[in-house]
Amino acid sequence: MEVERIDDFTWRIPQGAVAGMRVPGIVFASESLMDTAREDRALEQVANVATLPGIVKASYAMPDIHWGYGFPIGGVAATDANEGVVSPGGVGFDIACGVRLLRSDLDWESEVRPVIDRLVRALGARTPRGVGGKGLMNLSRQDVTKVLGEGVRFPLSRGVGAEEDAELCEDRGALQGARPEFVSEKAQERGCPQLGSLGAGNHFLEVQVVERIVDERAAGTMGLFENQVCVMIHSGSRGLGHQVCTDHLKMMDELMRKLGIEVPDRQLACVPLGQEAAVRYLGAMCAAANFARANRHVLADGARRVFEEVLGRSSRDLGLALVYDVAHNLAKFEEHEVDGRLRWLCVHRKGATRAFGPGHTELPPYYREMGQPVIIPGSMGTASYVLVGLGGAEERSFASTCHGAGRQMSRTRAKKEMSGAQLAQGLERDGIKLAPTRLASLAEEGPYAYKDVSEVVRVCEGAGLSRVVARLRPVGVVKG
Amino acid sequence: MGGYEILEHTADLGIRAWGDTLEEAFEQAAWGLLDTIGVRRAGPGEQRTIPAAGSDHASLLVDFLNELIFLQETEAVGFADVRVRRLTSSELEAGAEVMPLDDPADGVQVKAATYHLMEVRTDPPEARVYLDV
Repeated sequence: MEVERIDDFTWRIPQGAVAGMRVPGIVFASESLMDTAREDRALEQVANVATLPGIVKASYAMPDIHWGYGFPIGGVAATDANEGVVSPGGVGFDIACGVRLLRSDLDWESEVRPVIDRLVRALGARTPRGVGGKGLMNLSRQDVTKVLGEGVRFPLSRGVGAEEDAELCEDRGALQGARPEFVSEKAQERGCPQLGSLGAGNHFLEVQVVERIVDERAAGTMGLFENQVCVMIHSGSRGLGHQVCTDHLKMMDELMRKLGIEVPDRQLACVPLGQEAAVRYLGAMCAAANFARANRHVLADGARRVFEEVLGRSSRDLGLALVYDVAHNLAKFEEHEVDGRLRWLCVHRKGATRAFGPGHTELPPYYREMGQPVIIPGSMGTASYVLVGLGGAEERSFASTCHGAGRQMSRTRAKKEMSGAQLAQGLERDGIKLAPTRLASLAEEGPYAYKDVSEVVRVCEGAGLSRVVARLRPVGVVKG
Repeated sequence: MGGYEILEHTADLGIRAWGDTLEEAFEQAAWGLLDTIGVRRAGPGEQRTIPAAGSDHASLLVDFLNELIFLQETEAVGFADVRVRRLTSSELEAGAEVMPLDDPADGVQVKAATYHLMEVRTDPPEARVYLDV
């Protein structure tokens, strides 16, 4: 794949690299991250996405880009609301997978270190996880419909969580466009037992310590300080979201061909936004996103209960408050300026995080002056970051930034690199407590299987997509 | 003789399956999926019918695998036997022997079978499909 360098952090895939490209591809990467991106089929996928009808400006890729299934992971595509399409593959199967960060008033050395063993063990025992894990809240079918419509409002109505949790969640915890009636019976059936469960793979719950504050002012607004204990949760919409994507993809694959739309990869199946099928997908997608928000909300509440038990104080007393909750797999209607003209666009982010700059009206009032908090989970045992959105990113990437470290090694290769037991010993050596877990799946998630998250975050800052506020390191890992 | 192999992918994984007949290749693809989740078990079990539909062989295979994922996840079952009983260009009917899992699935969670790079060939019978894990 031919790639032209524009500046230190920006590369262009010229129109024509793949037949039918309507716009160029733009990849944000350093030289070393670009070298990694060239090793798999990610760049070809950036070019493929550029063929989508109605795509505007460019097919973008964030620095943590890697080979996905259809869209690259780390891909951003905005399509015109009138002339463009929606593609469920541009959101992915784990709809609204994302990250939630809780802060505390707890000091690591004096208050948590002495009990970290017990804390991590209890979090591990009480957080449902792994293949087919049953969630903390078992829902009836009517309850599932409510979660799909109300998001975090549903658990709140059952006394789970605090009102501020909704205020500081993206979209205040519930997307308005949710249409539970477009979520199939099968998807709802998959969702019934799963609310409040991590899932598997790279999902996790970690106890982290703020290692370094880079931006004092933004950190102050978010209530972050050095040596503070935080809890980070990475999970998504579970089987419910997977089934929503599966259902609608099948429908669109058939409809797309009837409409005569051609795409280079069938996983890019798409239909014009005016079509009934598009309306149904977006309504179901928003509903699944509400399920994902509620899922992380319930998981966070479970973590608070464990902290209360282990530390013997109420979670309010411990200051376990929500910093923010943000998705990195979602499509949203947003207004952006393109060539001097404001346009209404459907922005697909697949493994990319929205990062609005200061003053954006969609931000919670509390963060409006600062800009949007962006939470970047690192790979297991490595640093995570809190970033903040920048005004200029709107023009550069439709206000999008990275979503994590990004894989660079297949699961099979990762397993050959080191065994799960060796990896667990390594974490222990680094002073990171690991809740009991299945060692075979641990081996797939070794840090060497991922890119260097610090390099990814550095490029995001260099390219003007977001700014670093704080760096966190893990002290306790509960793996999905 | 049928069989399958795992194809490398940065984040996910692919399955290439083959057999003397297309039915057998599809059964092997099913085992590729079920072994990935870690739910192949010894029989006997309860006999279940799995229907699938699609616009061609490839989308039919993806639908079939997604039906297996749904059945496995919602009922937490293991599988002892998978037979494709009927296969046309738009419909498939398979039978499977399933049983409650005594020990948990010991593989990875599969979110879905995808359309990415999917391909089905009839001569010789062979199928390729990528899974989102």
